[in-house]
Amino acid sequence: MTAAVAIDSLAKVFGGLRAVDRVSLEVALGERRALIGPNGAGKTTLFHCITGRMQPSSGSVKLFGDDITYLPEHQRTKLGMGRTFQITNVFTDLSLAENLALAIVGTDRRKWVWNRPLSAFPAVREQALAGLEAVGLKDRADDPVKLLSYGERRQLELALALNTHPKVLFLDEPCAGLSPSERQRIFKMIRALPREITLVMIEHDMDVALGLADRVTVMNRGRVMAEGTPDEVQSNPEVRDVYFGHV
Amino acid sequence: MKVRSYGVVMALIAIAAALAAPLVADPFWMTLITQIYIYGLLALSVDLLLGHAGLYSLCQASFFAVAAYTTAILQVRYGYPTIVAAPAGLIAGTLLAVLYGSAVRTRGVYFILITIALGYIIWGAVYRWASFTGGDNGITNVPPPSVAGFSIASQTAYYYFVLTVVILCAFGYRILIRSPFGLSLRGIKGSESRMQSLGYRTTMHLYAAFVISGLIASLAGVLYVYYNRFINPVAASFQISVEVSLMAIVGGSGTIVGPFIGAGVFLGLRNWVSSFFELHTAVMGAVFIATVLWAPSGIVGLVERWRPGIGKPKDQP
Ligand SMILES: Nc1ncnc2c1ncn2[C@@H]1O[C@H](COP(=O)(O)OP(=O)(O)O)[C@@H](O)[C@H]1O
Ligand SMILES: [Mg+2]
Repeated sequence: MTAAVAIDSLAKVFGGLRAVDRVSLEVALGERRALIGPNGAGKTTLFHCITGRMQPSSGSVKLFGDDITYLPEHQRTKLGMGRTFQITNVFTDLSLAENLALAIVGTDRRKWVWNRPLSAFPAVREQALAGLEAVGLKDRADDPVKLLSYGERRQLELALALNTHPKVLFLDEPCAGLSPSERQRIFKMIRALPREITLVMIEHDMDVALGLADRVTVMNRGRVMAEGTPDEVQSNPEVRDVYFGHV
Repeated sequence: MKVRSYGVVMALIAIAAALAAPLVADPFWMTLITQIYIYGLLALSVDLLLGHAGLYSLCQASFFAVAAYTTAILQVRYGYPTIVAAPAGLIAGTLLAVLYGSAVRTRGVYFILITIALGYIIWGAVYRWASFTGGDNGITNVPPPSVAGFSIASQTAYYYFVLTVVILCAFGYRILIRSPFGLSLRGIKGSESRMQSLGYRTTMHLYAAFVISGLIASLAGVLYVYYNRFINPVAASFQISVEVSLMAIVGGSGTIVGPFIGAGVFLGLRNWVSSFFELHTAVMGAVFIATVLWAPSGIVGLVERWRPGIGKPKDQP
């Protein structure tokens, strides 16, 4: 069976810094993979290279067996890649429903409609409300994002990615900066995602990562230093040394 | 519900007042108000990019001038009728926008600088290519527009003609900015990186917006040349591009009435102040600075703040 995502010796160099250093990685269809590692390990940079935000310096990226290394980001989204950002990246000047509408029409031709108001698409509105309900924000649908708390914005961040209907979803520290109770909320939402969605999640919190993932990849200084089941990784002495040493 | 009817009532009052204006206003005022509509339309074209897409284009005068010159040259020099000259002007201005639209490959200050440079190309061309454009003197004696033997010669008739075009444009513009495409522009203004990750080829959306903006500016140019009856290089100048942007910002960027209100304030003040104060441009500058400091959402934003009942109207983009 072809992997959902296959990365082959991918590298990204910033000046003299090898932020990602020949990383190879395969994520199976339907798998839930956690990507952990200390700050500055290169996790976000690796995500950027996979999703097309950045061009890798070398190496290749395959999605469902097709080489997409040089495909622009928006086309990867059409092929079923979705992502969230570590630094919340939502449309603060728009309402929540408008945020979701942008995600919903972004992968089809409706995004080019210029001669009919958005309100002429009741299906979009319906989907937007359903999407907001899934992250517990339905009653805020017509509020501007400005009025949301940071925790609520993280929920919206997730909803935006989910509403492009991804087959492979990349989550960059979805719980970054949240209180323990807010973390739990997001964590539950991610858990409740359908199993068909292949999930790759960067997570700082070892417990969260281990509680959700089928397999774990540990990065350090741009390289993969360990990979395996949560148990294997947890008992790896090298990982314990590098990773837990930082906490 | 209540909020929405407020907007509709205000729009109807404004239209009724505009329709009745020729009954009470003398020719001086009629000229001024017609000019406000035309510059307001040009400011609206700026604001599609500035207030929605977040692009600050400083070459809008180019589309305006190319449309105006094309129409004028075809009418005066080659004797083509309005039915040919006016659409040709529109097409010429819009084609220039199709060409200049490649500027949307750049962002931020580079976009601003490139549009300034592109603007100077047209200004230089109309100024220097005297054998074709009339140079400094421009093209004079543009006849009043006439279609099928019916000439819109009187000031009042042309006023109503411009008013009709502007109202139609405002309605079309309203649909455009409330459409999924219009929303996509505000999405790009908010976060281009997020839009790309949601599946948008953002540069194409900005390019389309740029061309539509050029079309609106060209329309203003054609209206202008028949109003003014002559055209000279000032119409293509950097100063015009800057002034219409200031109109949009002072009136209220991101709204439809804002650019027209801004045009009214600028042209009204200029007419009034320049009658007794030589440095009237300084007054314009002061108005702009005051806006930026105390009313960043422009005059429309001020009115919104003072209006009884809270919240922005929903139909206000
Ligand atoms: N755009 C950039 N330019 C230069 N250096 C960068 C850039 N982005 C990230 N880096 C550097 O690359 C390294 C990896 O960063 P990052 O991928 O954000 O790590 P992580 O997500 O694992 O915390 C860091 O040392 C960071 O400073
Ligand atoms: Mg990171």
